[in-house]
Amino acid sequence: MKKVITFFWILTIFCTNILIVNASPITYDRQELDNMGVNKDWTITESNKDNVLRTPAVNAEAKIYDFADLLTDEEEEIVKSRAVEFIEQTKMDMVIVTANFSYYNDSENEDYAADFYDYNDFGMNFENNSGVLLLRNANPEDPYYDMYTFGNAQLYFNQYRYDSVLDGIYDNLHNQNYVEGFKDFISRSESFILSGEPSDMINYYVDEKGYLQKYPETYHIPWSSATIISVVITAIVMLILIRKNKMVMKATQAGEYLNKKSININNRKDVFLHSHTSSYTVSSDSGGGGGGGHSSHSGSSGGGHSSGGGRHG
Amino acid sequence: MKNEISEQTLENRCPACKASISFNPTLGKWKCDYCGSEFTLEEMQKSEDNASTEKKNAKKDQVEDNYNNYISYHCESCGAEIIADESTSATFCVYCGNTAILQSKLSGKFSPDKIIPFKKDKEAAISAFKGLSKGRPLMPKGFNNTNNIEKIRGVYIPFWLYDLNVSGDVVMDAKTIEKWTIGDTHYTKTNTYKVTRGGEMDFLNIPVDGSSHFDNDIMNSIEPFNYDEMIPYNHAYLSGFYAEKYDQEGDSILKEASDRALNSARNVLKDDTRMYATKTIVSDTLVSNEKNKIYALLPVWMVNVKYNNKMHIFAMNGQTGEFIGNIPLDKGKTLLYTILIFAISMAICIAVSYFIFMGGQ
Repeated sequence: MKKVITFFWILTIFCTNILIVNASPITYDRQELDNMGVNKDWTITESNKDNVLRTPAVNAEAKIYDFADLLTDEEEEIVKSRAVEFIEQTKMDMVIVTANFSYYNDSENEDYAADFYDYNDFGMNFENNSGVLLLRNANPEDPYYDMYTFGNAQLYFNQYRYDSVLDGIYDNLHNQNYVEGFKDFISRSESFILSGEPSDMINYYVDEKGYLQKYPETYHIPWSSATIISVVITAIVMLILIRKNKMVMKATQAGEYLNKKSININNRKDVFLHSHTSSYTVSSDSGGGGGGGHSSHSGSSGGGHSSGGGRHG
Repeated sequence: MKNEISEQTLENRCPACKASISFNPTLGKWKCDYCGSEFTLEEMQKSEDNASTEKKNAKKDQVEDNYNNYISYHCESCGAEIIADESTSATFCVYCGNTAILQSKLSGKFSPDKIIPFKKDKEAAISAFKGLSKGRPLMPKGFNNTNNIEKIRGVYIPFWLYDLNVSGDVVMDAKTIEKWTIGDTHYTKTNTYKVTRGGEMDFLNIPVDGSSHFDNDIMNSIEPFNYDEMIPYNHAYLSGFYAEKYDQEGDSILKEASDRALNSARNVLKDDTRMYATKTIVSDTLVSNEKNKIYALLPVWMVNVKYNNKMHIFAMNGQTGEFIGNIPLDKGKTLLYTILIFAISMAICIAVSYFIFMGGQ
């Protein structure tokens, strides 16, 4: 009898636990945790203390934090298993957060996302706390989502890639088809990271605080173009010099013998035949090339991160 | 034989001492080397003994008879026929340098309409040759040494001066190009027109040399002559110089002048359409008509240069001093300069790219 009671008791606790874990992410009271639960190197000062306290302390292993309750338990599991795959493949963290809060500026979403990532243990297993976070703010007034990259993940995304990912998942998120949307988000991010750094990011690295930094450029002698230009210059100069030795030339014109007063042009006809208009578009995004700069945004922690730009819908 | 000819030749004699007298290009007068007297054309004409007298120049029939009295030298090598007065004896062909020349009476008529007298003397031609080294780094060292001048002679070259009228239409394919930008899009609008320009114009005194012994390109290259100084032909100017009789006339010569005139006329009509960005002539109906032609003797200094056993022909416009010819290239210097210029260009390119790079930092 005692065994039966114990079994039911354990079952009850187990079920309750599962129910609690799946229904809403477990959060901890930061006040009671060591260093307010912040295990990263950030210095907590008076100015960012409130940010830290406002940020839910969570178990960084869960990966899916459905504060807005958009997914069922099974769906969370599906998305999580995809996220775990991502982490194995890319050696970077993957965090999906849903929330529901009203905001005045889009940047409030970014602050929330950056604090959530920075003040929890995300990316700590990886170099420069690298990872990707998707925040879905399901605020019914103005639903919003954006992706944020931390640490080395910033090196794999230029604006084209951010746009490609965010636009790619728009329909699914807009139609509240979240499982597909989140899975698609992970897949798109993963394929960009696995395809390597885009060319305009090659000259960048991430410093220990998580900021994008440009490598000091080294000078390379442009041998091929210098050779081509030199060959052309040499040919021109030599032709001029040779021409000085070869003074005999056949005359083909008689302009100096023209009696200018005798010129009488009495037939002038200009007939329009046809018109042709051609156009080409230079995208101001892609046109930047190496000239444009990439820079990280600063979080309240003092660390850097980048964001995709966000989408409403 | 020579004495017989001498008796019949036209002579220019000093009105003062009756010695043989030559035209001095720098003075523009006749100067007697014996008594030092100088004479103008008018003064020369007053002396009855001279070839320059009105009597000997005026009437065509008479003049033609007199032309028979010139000494003609026939080159066995190149076939050139050189004419000189009695005081100027030829010992070699002014064209090819051959010394095997036959002296005889001039056959046929020699009646130029006009002449531009020499203004530059032999010394001017020699110093122009010496001055060739200036600005010509690829010239072989010592090429312009005066010792290399094998022959130097002042020759009146026979020229035909054509007055041509060119008329007709030119049809062009012309385009206007307009470019503008809206946002990130650049537009280019090309309008195509069929443009016709027609009319007429006159060309005066286009020179074509009438001697087959002389390279036409060399003659082209010493142009232009200043026709303001062209005067009616007078035998007196020939003293001290050689002349050649034309051996080319007619359509083949006219074509050279006509081709030049047509090319220039095309350009004049093409330039009348400035509003277009590009113009291409697709067809034309231009024709040239000969309005007049003058047989003129134009002064040229012929300089034969022997360098490394090779002959090089130079010519100087005897009026303007324009000195032309093809100077051989020094192979060593050419190679050296090519390498040097390439190396300097490379250094400049690299330096510029480095400064641009540093400036961007």
